[in-house]
Amino acid sequence: MTATYELRAGATDLTERRRTGVSHGAVRDIERSPELTRIDWATDGSTTIGALVTADTVSSDARIRSGYPGLAAAAAGLATPQIRRAATIGGNLLQHNRCWYYRHPETSCLRKGGDSCPARTGNHHHGVIFDLGPCVAPHPSTLGAALLAYDATIATDRRTLPVADLFTPDDHHTLEPGELLTAVHLPAPATGEQAAYLRTISRAWAEWPIVEAVARLVITDGVITSAAVAVGGVAPVPMRLPDVESALTGKPPTAENLAAAAKPAAANATPLPMTAYKVPLLVATVEDVLHRAANIALE
Amino acid sequence: MVKIEVNGEWREVDPGPDDTAVELLRDGLGLTGTKLVCGGGVCGACTIHVDGEPVVSCLLPVAALEGRSVATVEGLTRDGHPVPRAFAAHAALQCGFCTPGFVVEAVAFHDRWRAEHGTAEPPAEEVAAALAGHLCRCGAYAEIQAAVREACAGRFDEPGELSGPRREAGEKITGAARYTVDIRHDGQLEGVLLRSPHAHATVGTVDLSGALAVEGVRAAVELLGADRTVRYAGQEVAAVAAVDRRTAEAALAKIVVEYRKLPAVIGVDQALADGAPTVYQRGNRKPPNAAEGTATPAPWKGNVRGPMALFSTHRRRARNLIERARAAGDPLLVEGDFRTQAQAHTTLEPHAAVARFTGDTLEVHVSTQAVAELAKLIAKRFSLPEDKVRVIAEHVGGGFGSKAGVHAETVAAVTLARAAAAPVRVVFDRLAELSVTGHRPAARISLSLLADRDGNLAALRVHAYGDAGIAIGSMIAALGRLMYPAPAKELVDYDVVNHTPYGLPFRAPGAPPLSFALEQAVDEAARRLGRDPIALRQKWDPDPGRQRLYRWAAGLPVWQRESRRTGRFRRGVGVAAANWLYLWESDCAVALSVRGGRLTVSTAVQDMGTGSRSVLAATVAAGLGLAPSDVDVQLGDSVLPVGPGSGGSRTTATIAPAALSAVAKLKAELVARSRLSGARAAADGIRYAGGVLPWPEAIAAADDLRVEAKRPPDDATLSRSAPRAMAGAGVLGALFPVMMRLQGPMRIGRGYPSGVQVVEVEVDTKLGRTRVLRVHGGIAAGKLAVPELAAAQARGGIIQGVGFALYEERQFDPGTGLVLSANLEDYRIPGIADMPEIELHFDTEGYEHVPGGGVGLGEVATIPVAAAIANAVYDATGVRQYELPLRPDRVLSGKGAT
Repeated sequence: MTATYELRAGATDLTERRRTGVSHGAVRDIERSPELTRIDWATDGSTTIGALVTADTVSSDARIRSGYPGLAAAAAGLATPQIRRAATIGGNLLQHNRCWYYRHPETSCLRKGGDSCPARTGNHHHGVIFDLGPCVAPHPSTLGAALLAYDATIATDRRTLPVADLFTPDDHHTLEPGELLTAVHLPAPATGEQAAYLRTISRAWAEWPIVEAVARLVITDGVITSAAVAVGGVAPVPMRLPDVESALTGKPPTAENLAAAAKPAAANATPLPMTAYKVPLLVATVEDVLHRAANIALE
Repeated sequence: MVKIEVNGEWREVDPGPDDTAVELLRDGLGLTGTKLVCGGGVCGACTIHVDGEPVVSCLLPVAALEGRSVATVEGLTRDGHPVPRAFAAHAALQCGFCTPGFVVEAVAFHDRWRAEHGTAEPPAEEVAAALAGHLCRCGAYAEIQAAVREACAGRFDEPGELSGPRREAGEKITGAARYTVDIRHDGQLEGVLLRSPHAHATVGTVDLSGALAVEGVRAAVELLGADRTVRYAGQEVAAVAAVDRRTAEAALAKIVVEYRKLPAVIGVDQALADGAPTVYQRGNRKPPNAAEGTATPAPWKGNVRGPMALFSTHRRRARNLIERARAAGDPLLVEGDFRTQAQAHTTLEPHAAVARFTGDTLEVHVSTQAVAELAKLIAKRFSLPEDKVRVIAEHVGGGFGSKAGVHAETVAAVTLARAAAAPVRVVFDRLAELSVTGHRPAARISLSLLADRDGNLAALRVHAYGDAGIAIGSMIAALGRLMYPAPAKELVDYDVVNHTPYGLPFRAPGAPPLSFALEQAVDEAARRLGRDPIALRQKWDPDPGRQRLYRWAAGLPVWQRESRRTGRFRRGVGVAAANWLYLWESDCAVALSVRGGRLTVSTAVQDMGTGSRSVLAATVAAGLGLAPSDVDVQLGDSVLPVGPGSGGSRTTATIAPAALSAVAKLKAELVARSRLSGARAAADGIRYAGGVLPWPEAIAAADDLRVEAKRPPDDATLSRSAPRAMAGAGVLGALFPVMMRLQGPMRIGRGYPSGVQVVEVEVDTKLGRTRVLRVHGGIAAGKLAVPELAAAQARGGIIQGVGFALYEERQFDPGTGLVLSANLEDYRIPGIADMPEIELHFDTEGYEHVPGGGVGLGEVATIPVAAAIANAVYDATGVRQYELPLRPDRVLSGKGAT
């Protein structure tokens, strides 16, 4: 799966991997063309974000904040301010996972061409609870979870694909070697939709999430008419939660209903020996983010 | 070629594909104010402005800077911006290594804020969010927060010098301060270390020829000990010096090492298992010592060293009482098995040394907390005469216990410099820093505490198993002798050695782990006795300093408030007390010299952020009626009069009294030389027949002169009112100071520096997060040499305690023994938004026998934090916490057990 060269955008992930010796080989800088660095607003209300637009811009752009508040909030919650000003939306989607074995220069693992996952048999405290593939590290892309909730489409220099198809439990992503992610396309937001993002961490800021969740709700006449919920930190890919979404649809957004709808979030979880603690945190995070999206406090 | 505007000047550079902005600025352009700390964008120390926006320079390729405008701390602070003045006025820094990054970020925030809001003061949360990507290990967050808010509010718009209570603040704020990592001699080489990937192996041949054949390599050396055995993954095996770091790293890969792998034990469980391989063979037990003192002899069994039970009293009786109470189901017997984790010092300046031989003299810049002692140790280690070794540490980016003694960076730098006949710099990366440069040993503590029907403490039993990796010297249970006297105490310490990196002293070694267990047990005893936890401590604890602090704590309004134990966010209040020792060094001296009418104070102490420069200047200035700025300070150089190491809270307690003695000597000398009739020294100046010549004038008029004074002993008469040194420790306690006197220059004085802290927390019972809302920190350590900096030490100790309580945790691979949490993402220290509100209360009595009236407080401030937080979490949730850190999963897992 190794490309003959790796494409370099904001370089916040790649530079670190190359400094520690985890990644090497040739690098090609992506040319900063206007299409890659701007945000386009179509007349139908949809939006196209160039792949080199920074996380900081995604979080602070007034129109993204108003049309896609769950995405803007997710972008504001990731990494640190000085990284967000350099890191790009494309790079965030394609970054490599944060597994401490993968990142340690002295270890071998599946993603470094090894033949087994040392985290699975070793220390996987930050690992997945949906054990979908050989590697047990959660997918690191916060924006991936948010874009999944917004039904985004990805454009590359070769094709377009739903954002879900960018992710696979078997590799960092599904792009071919040398394939350039050029843009993220967001459909027009629904009228009156409300959204929220929540990152469950131990400190106040700047931490990889234990669990993170994005929720979009359309509430019409006191009833949830449409719901989209996506989570990160729990599986080797960002995940939508269809059971939670269907449990919400058609119900008034009461605390009882939101709590009941959050329950199936972990129904299919297959936690590892050291990650069972994430199961209740996933349910609680989903319950809380639904409350935030519905604009009611979770007591 | 890449064209970049740097601080207003266009430059053309030719970068390699992996060259980053931080390397270009520091190594290429000599702009060393920008610091490289984590290499991952987590800590913010390398932040620079690119087209006016603060970005991470350690991850930014130089190629990305084509045509852009870069501003570094040097450029941003030279034109009179208000943020630097605010940082100086608030002394918003300690060691200063993170400071340039904070300043750069704060300048941008200030400018943005002022453009949008004028001089409205920004809310604390907004400042915290803006600075969320910056870490300060010393814990200067409160001062930083205040400086940024006030600068935004326009309170520092008036042009002027950078001035404030911390003497060297200006140099640190502008990036001018030179740390060891910033040293650059002509022809200097870069040294890197090859480390063992195996936790346990013997080493056959080490073939260096491949490395030596690499172009640009100037030396390659072995670093193995005499037994050619590696006992932890990451142990240094060899080192290479080359013209630059990349060349040296490439050469490392060419070294061929013949390892014979041996079975290893990773962590206490594996070390204690039946038939476990042993770390040390009988007859070859030379473990490093993680304690500050000499390790007492003790028996070994497999990987266990101990029992060490010298501090017990009526041991059998304690055991009997507790066993009987347990058999009878006595509710006043409180028992628990507690676990505390290894805490990494995480100094932001890595371990670093630059060695250079000039003729037969060796000069070493080292990031060290003991310049004077280190020069002697290096001389011994390399068989050089002591007067041929000079150690320099102008600024030290944090130590906390991890930078005393000769460590691998120094050994490698000196060995390579000798082999290459050129200056060599060795700077550890963050992976090494968080893996192999020391930590507070982890511990398992079994504690039983028995109260009697009258509410007295009847017996205490503490068995502590310290895990300092391959090191020994854990002393945890023994400290239980010094607080809460009881008729019977069984206090037993063990070391469990295993194939993981060695521990080192860390801010009050042994005390925070014991406090976590003991102070929770006292809390539980109070609950079972139906007594107020402060009132019970007042009954059990005779220490006069803490008695005063208990009265203060009991009067805090928060202590009277009800806890909130319902709903999602629960609030609770907890208390814990702390006891530490008053240590000083008897061989240290301070010199005062007058040259051309100007006064200089000097001693071979170092300033690792604690403020030694400010303490010396303030002490001398106050004694002579001068302003501190009228006194020059020289330190951080082993050629100066012997100064103390910065450890055991002994720095200020050593240098301030010595400085006062030097002042008295200087006055006598000025009187003797004045030739004024009837001259004698008075408080305000030289009193003579014609009136008074004020000291400042006498100094200005004096011929050049120099006096030197040793640290005087404490006042024997005034001492009588203070508790004896090691009070409560019986015969052993009485012998202890005598034994210390026989061993070396360290002295233990009368009085226990003390702390009592009351903490308020909020626990999110949904997501498991514990927030420390407020810490009321009471400290009794006498008078404060420089009040602002004493407060900064106290706040820093509290914030490190919050990290220990809630976030910091070292994680291992159980198979290889590699430290997995070897970066600042996975090893989590508190950020600015995690800082509680801190209200300090200083009790300044009780140290009248110490010249100057006060002792050190850096350690006592950190001891009770985790225990007080755990007691507050119990108050909020009704669930006792037995394991640190109080991670979300741990706080939630006990939730149902109420």
